[in-house]
Amino acid sequence: MKKKFLATALVLAMALTLFAGCGKSAPAEPAGTSSAGTSSAGNEPAPAAAHADEINIGIAQDLDDSLDPHYAVAAGTKEIMFNVFEGLVKPTPEGNLMPAVASDYTVSEDGLTYDFILRDGIKFHNGDEVEMEDVLYSIERNMGSDGNEALIPALEAIKDMKADGSKLTITLDEPVPELLNYLTLAILPADYDKQDTAPVGTGPYKFVSRVAQDNIVMERFDDYWGEPAKIGKVTFHVVEKIESMLLGLQGGSIDLCMHLTSTQTAQLSDGFNIEEGSMNLVQALYLNNAVAPFDNVLVRQALSYGIDKQGIIDLAFDGFGIPLGTSMFPSFAKYYDDSLTDYYPYDPAKAKELLKEAGFPDGFSMEITVPSNYQPHVDAAQVIVEQLKEIGVTAKINPIEWESWLNDVYGNRQFQSTITGLTSDNMTARKLLERFRSDMPNNFTNYNNADYDELAKAAIVSTNDEEQTALYRQMEKNLTENAANVYIQDMADLVAVRKGLSGLTFYPLYVLDVSTLYWAE
Amino acid sequence: MKYTAKKIVLMLVTMILVSFLTYTAFELVSGDPAQAMLGTEATPARLAALREELGLNRPFLIRYFSWLGGLFTGNLGVSFSYKLPVWQLIAPKIEVTLWLCLISFILITVISLPLGIWSYRRSGKIWDFMHTAFNQLCMAIPPFFIGILLSWGFGIVLRVFTPGNLPDLHAHFFDAIRYLFFAAVCLAIPRSAMTVRMMRSTVIGEMEQAYVRTAISRGNDRRAVLTRHVLKNSLVPVVTFLGQTMAELIGGSIVVEQVFGIPGLGRFLVASISNRDYPVVQAIVVILAFWVVLTGTAADLVNQRIDPRLRLEGKR
Amino acid sequence: MKKHYNGYLIAGLIISGIIIIMTIIGMFWTPYSPTAMSGAAKLQAPSLAHLFGTDNFGRDIFSRVLKGAGTTLTIAVATVAIGAFFGTLIGANTGYFGGIVDDILMRLNDAVTAFPSILLALLIISLTGTGKKYNVILALGIVFIPSFARLMRTTYASYRNANYIISARLMGAGSGRIMMIHILPNTVRVLLPALTIGFNNAVLAEASMSFLGIGVAPPDASLGYMLSDAQGMFSVAPWYAVCTGLVIILLVFGVGLIGAGMQKQGSGVN
Repeated sequence: MKKKFLATALVLAMALTLFAGCGKSAPAEPAGTSSAGTSSAGNEPAPAAAHADEINIGIAQDLDDSLDPHYAVAAGTKEIMFNVFEGLVKPTPEGNLMPAVASDYTVSEDGLTYDFILRDGIKFHNGDEVEMEDVLYSIERNMGSDGNEALIPALEAIKDMKADGSKLTITLDEPVPELLNYLTLAILPADYDKQDTAPVGTGPYKFVSRVAQDNIVMERFDDYWGEPAKIGKVTFHVVEKIESMLLGLQGGSIDLCMHLTSTQTAQLSDGFNIEEGSMNLVQALYLNNAVAPFDNVLVRQALSYGIDKQGIIDLAFDGFGIPLGTSMFPSFAKYYDDSLTDYYPYDPAKAKELLKEAGFPDGFSMEITVPSNYQPHVDAAQVIVEQLKEIGVTAKINPIEWESWLNDVYGNRQFQSTITGLTSDNMTARKLLERFRSDMPNNFTNYNNADYDELAKAAIVSTNDEEQTALYRQMEKNLTENAANVYIQDMADLVAVRKGLSGLTFYPLYVLDVSTLYWAE
Repeated sequence: MKYTAKKIVLMLVTMILVSFLTYTAFELVSGDPAQAMLGTEATPARLAALREELGLNRPFLIRYFSWLGGLFTGNLGVSFSYKLPVWQLIAPKIEVTLWLCLISFILITVISLPLGIWSYRRSGKIWDFMHTAFNQLCMAIPPFFIGILLSWGFGIVLRVFTPGNLPDLHAHFFDAIRYLFFAAVCLAIPRSAMTVRMMRSTVIGEMEQAYVRTAISRGNDRRAVLTRHVLKNSLVPVVTFLGQTMAELIGGSIVVEQVFGIPGLGRFLVASISNRDYPVVQAIVVILAFWVVLTGTAADLVNQRIDPRLRLEGKR
Repeated sequence: MKKHYNGYLIAGLIISGIIIIMTIIGMFWTPYSPTAMSGAAKLQAPSLAHLFGTDNFGRDIFSRVLKGAGTTLTIAVATVAIGAFFGTLIGANTGYFGGIVDDILMRLNDAVTAFPSILLALLIISLTGTGKKYNVILALGIVFIPSFARLMRTTYASYRNANYIISARLMGAGSGRIMMIHILPNTVRVLLPALTIGFNNAVLAEASMSFLGIGVAPPDASLGYMLSDAQGMFSVAPWYAVCTGLVIILLVFGVGLIGAGMQKQGSGVN
């Protein structure tokens, strides 16, 4: 019998080698990949030196939509592709804009004429020089000039674009104060049709490859116009399970991972620095202002008194996070009004009183819809349920899929209350505040306040920066006073960074800038 | 030959049924793929154009058969999410999952068959109890729990492999196999326990047969009877069971690939389901189901070689 | 003979019995409220005050395990009930009557079993939506129907032409009566072990589904959900994973022993 097993084993071994032979005929990856560096690891911790010119970054979400920057919708995709694309101007870590594809620009006093000078000799990743034609193509594509709906409706205000040598003049029908923010839109080559799978831009890194649910590889773009990136090769590893992500970090296959929670970072012993930024979003218990009982301002105020935001931050987030009182976060220092944060201090007695006044002496039952795949919101919801018990309100969590959330809650407004985080992906206060105007299609909370609408209309067209800022601040105050939603926090963004790796820069945007990272000697 | 032919016909019928069920199910839930692909960009004109381009205006059955044909020519449509041909996306993942299952299958065979025979020889009351208890214990541990413990122990403490980074199968073949080995162990443990139990009870059952008693009473060595007759006769149910094992491994790989961060079919399937990337889901589901049907039929055919009686049964 | 196989039954009944009794107690009383949070008592190691320690919200894990075991038991029992009921219904009819309906249904059965069970559950969940206890029950219940149907079909087919059935038929008993009264009691011997195996598969499948993020979601908490939740904090709070893991393992182990004992008893009677 032994012989038979031996024979079986031999046959299987042969089959194995056969398979191996077949496998080899496929194109091999270029040598010197990260796996070569780490696979031979013996007992010593994974050496940083082996990575000197490369970095492995763990991401929880695959770039599973179009890579065409004009069509990509997922925040996770935009976060990573930030390294590949640039617009005429690009954001700085301070929240300002700096010239990028344009080397210089001027804005006329009435805010109706913009002049851009195309940067001399700037190249796309495919080696072609950026021509004025590419710039026009990229902007027109977002204006809806091709007959489709405009990707950026604000650009419909553009009356005319005139190119004169390396100078581009844009004239508007009416002033659009945020126009420059919109012109961070990626400049793409006009005659290239594989943008959605093999994108080409002008950023510090060029896209190399993407393997679905596995990895995305980028390499330094050596002809970059600005300061070149310090690390030559970046591999983004897609790791969905946080357990596996932590194992990868500790095992040495991942050098950097963003968006961790404090419980998770607590598990990473030595070998990592934990850097704290903020997510730049407004996490809140968003209330459907059109349905009972949240159509009653007293009820909304009662909830605001009855929910202890610091308590949520302490319990569910180990104290990391900045409490908020309105739809604005501190990174927008210009617009942020800190005094609104404690407008409703935690006061269950007051909350009960207000409920009584509103006609709910015995409290009521409500439903909190949460996207079940987003743990921070689920966690916050669990704490809120406990806190609301104190004021006699029975809350029930209704976990749903992200797709259903988008559809039912955000799209069709079929919900009572929900927890989510709202962001501004183009660094404008307008994006955060305008959505509460009663006639906005994305006003999913159905907030309806005449004063607010007036303020919003005035703010959008104001060309005077000071006046506009004042209007935005009034809008914030309006939201707080009417307790439009129960504001919680700007969540902390904890980043695990392998020791020896420096240069991590936080932006007031949901992006990861790899070009500033470097391995210290 | 008739038996073989019948089995293959049955297999094809099942395959067609499986693919038809899958196709219909997704056809019903996925709604209009053109709408899904265009999303918020949808305008009536663009929808109509895309429908025409995708051939959605054709009758249902025609679409089904052209999709079925695509399964064999590799033309499975385009992923909603990645905008890439489905086949191009899943081909490398099939390779990874196949290796994982193959290693696991070898492990199960190599561990459990000798162990099954060995455990038969230790058939006292105490042995019996210990055996059953250990067996039940192996089957009671959730596989992902074993996976986490294994990657913790071998990946972090002993550093035998680097969790979360499967080396490239072509460039670093042996590193990749070593990585997959641990995931395969995790898959193999509960199934090995079942195989041992199955093997053991089959051998015990066979040893109680009259022919064995006769052979032994005629003075044949017990051991010789075991190897010469009993094992050969026990082989049929074991092969059937191993055929099912191949199918179970495919199911188990869905979980294990998540734990070990292996970019295989199972993980891609889970992600595609949550993305509602139906062309990908459809293709993977059918490939997995075909795999199950295929291994089942293969086991039947092997059995027919081993035990000619089965050929007669086929005629019945 | 009898002593020989009863060992399993007794050991299994004791182990799973303890857990099941605890679970039933947990439905009415727990040492702490399973949802009460405490910032001061986060991630504490097991102690007399908190037998299994506390989780990252400062909730008492022991109380949560009691409650979670209730969810797990409900899911497993409901799932097996669905599978066994419909499986028996289909299997009994196809096995007893045979013919073309039998052929068609069994082909369909083959087609459904061609999907690995976790895959099938995944697909059903993807159609019905995640996060709800009832969807998990529905998905797993459907997944279990074919195996029960196959088992019952074989059993019914083997009795179809037994002498006492033929005589019952001659005496004018209707098919329904024969299936219910004459054959069903005889299937118990194969059905009971199958039920224990189904129960265990349901517990483990639910755990795997929780791990994949398609099982139950808060506010529901099953043992499987807690175990996969615990793995995210394995190195800071190993007791969380170990305690919940242990309860699952013991439950499945105990029920598995019962099944093994019943199988032994069955073969002993033969």
